[in-house]
Amino acid sequence: MSVIELRNINKIFGNKISRVHVLKNINFSAENNQFNLVLGPSGSGKSTFLTIAGGLQKPTSGQVNIEGQPIEGLSSKDRDTLRLNKIAFILQSYNLLPYLTVKEQFVLVDKVKNKGNLDSSSLDSLLKKLGIEELQEKYPGELSGGQNQRAAIARALYTDPSIILADEPTASLDSDNVKEVGSLFKSLAKEQHKSIVVVTHDLRLVDFADKIYEILDGRMKLKE
Amino acid sequence: MFLALKEIKREKLRYGLIISMIVLIAYLIFVLTSLALGLAQENTQVIDSWHIKRIVLDKDSDINLSQSLITKKELSTFKLSRKDAYIGQASIVVKSKGNKKESAQFIGLDKHQFIFKNIKLLSGRKAASNREIVVDEQFKDDGYRLGEKVSFNSFSGKYQIVGFTKGAKLSVAPVVYGTLSAWKKMQSSRSDFKASAVVSQSSNFKAANSQLKSYSSGKFINQLPGYSAQNSTFTFMIAFLMIISLIVIAVFLYILTIQKIKNYAVLRAQGIPAKILVIATICQSAILVVSGLIIAALLTILTAVFIPTAVPMSFNLPILLSVAVGLIITGLIGALIPARIIVRINPISVIGE
Ligand SMILES: Nc1ncnc2c1ncn2[C@@H]1O[C@H](COP(=O)(O)OP(=O)(O)OP(=O)(O)O)[C@@H](O)[C@H]1O
Ligand SMILES: [Mg+2]
Repeated sequence: MSVIELRNINKIFGNKISRVHVLKNINFSAENNQFNLVLGPSGSGKSTFLTIAGGLQKPTSGQVNIEGQPIEGLSSKDRDTLRLNKIAFILQSYNLLPYLTVKEQFVLVDKVKNKGNLDSSSLDSLLKKLGIEELQEKYPGELSGGQNQRAAIARALYTDPSIILADEPTASLDSDNVKEVGSLFKSLAKEQHKSIVVVTHDLRLVDFADKIYEILDGRMKLKE
Repeated sequence: MFLALKEIKREKLRYGLIISMIVLIAYLIFVLTSLALGLAQENTQVIDSWHIKRIVLDKDSDINLSQSLITKKELSTFKLSRKDAYIGQASIVVKSKGNKKESAQFIGLDKHQFIFKNIKLLSGRKAASNREIVVDEQFKDDGYRLGEKVSFNSFSGKYQIVGFTKGAKLSVAPVVYGTLSAWKKMQSSRSDFKASAVVSQSSNFKAANSQLKSYSSGKFINQLPGYSAQNSTFTFMIAFLMIISLIVIAVFLYILTIQKIKNYAVLRAQGIPAKILVIATICQSAILVVSGLIIAALLTILTAVFIPTAVPMSFNLPILLSVAVGLIITGLIGALIPARIIVRINPISVIGE
């Protein structure tokens, strides 16, 4: 099933004098057991694509459906709720609040969303799988880059989202950590039926992806 | 509250510094307020103790008691009731062997009139002759004793302290109550003066002579030398300290918010409502101000306990509480700027960086 679907998306920035047509007629859909990788050079529109897919900004034209529902008419509050419940964002950095321990990052989620989060045994096994179960009392500043990113992934998965959108999640990681994150995304798609969309120019992730797209000059095409 | 407390716990040094800043400002505000109040009281205490509504002075005295002299003739048309009294005021320096000189306000009274009758004695008795005086307790604190003979500046003769009273201060100097006749002797140049002023506890007391004028006690107090200048100086200082604390809190929270803005943007992208972050900031501001106020209040209590009685400070709980409430409101206003920034965070700004 298509969990996330973009139809005929166009995004134009600017006014009459200076216009940038960043996304041109993008059609994209992601299934609930797929790890999709979107590649493209800097400035090609990857982040713009991702934020439109996640409902953070509106396309100039076209339609975005999440679990079959168009999100066009949703109020900004409803979009917040949608992101809190169904969509997780993982970014290159700033994913964790520096003054909360890893464990407290989950407590913060509980404060705003008290239903549908992982129960403590699922959280424990997730943390174990990520290899950070010993680090729960640590602050983000005390973690390595790889540990930080794995904690960020745990934080994103805590709400049990159906969609994970990630923008350059591996940009600051060394190859070993990239491999771990890559295989983690892959297993999340296969075992937990998540729909994963990663935009990046990190080619080290291609081995793990089910589908690879490329954005060039505002157009998106499937590579393999 | 969760976020607010966790952040303070994690950033103890930062928050500790800002709290100590608020402590100092709040303590300064408390002390200045008490000092302002104490000084204001010592300016007017004796007048307040008389409970007068009107005061009649020479119309050319510029509403200044020490510039006002009223002659027998001007008073000839007055009929004084039980609620009216003459007072004769003179600035004096009290001297005695073995004690330090003391600047004081001499108030000459008629012993048949209400002020004399209403003097509340701490010890001793009221004056029975022109050479006897009742003085404010400050003289006692400074080592003067009952029965002691004192002299006034260059005036001849000795006066004997026969009683102590309390709460008798005028223009921040202790009052020496004597008789009108004694006062008259001090006015050497002309002898037909009767008093400096006529005061009355009834609000419709009129000046029955064109050379005299009647003023309300409020107006008279405001015109006491230096009184309103002093009060406005203090008000100005306290207001300025309030504004300083507003800016300190606003700048501090602003900088902290700016530092966290990327994290907040990610939280917003993750669907965490801005409301939670705004509440955390407001809570932090409240925690900062309230904990600063509590420590400052403790310091103020210590000050009140250990301060020498000679320092004119008056710790008035309702007034200090309203100052504290003012500071809390100030803190909340200070949180508005960062709150506005948080509400306007655009999550996209952080994505793709
Ligand atoms: N708010 C905006 N206003 C105007 N132009 C914008 C805006 N946001 C993005 N752009 C432009 O759109 C284009 C695509 O930007 P985007 O951030 O999506 O690229 P990207 O592929 O993510 O690049 P990178 O790999 O460097 O992160 C760029 O040319 C950028 O300047
Ligand atoms: Mg980008």
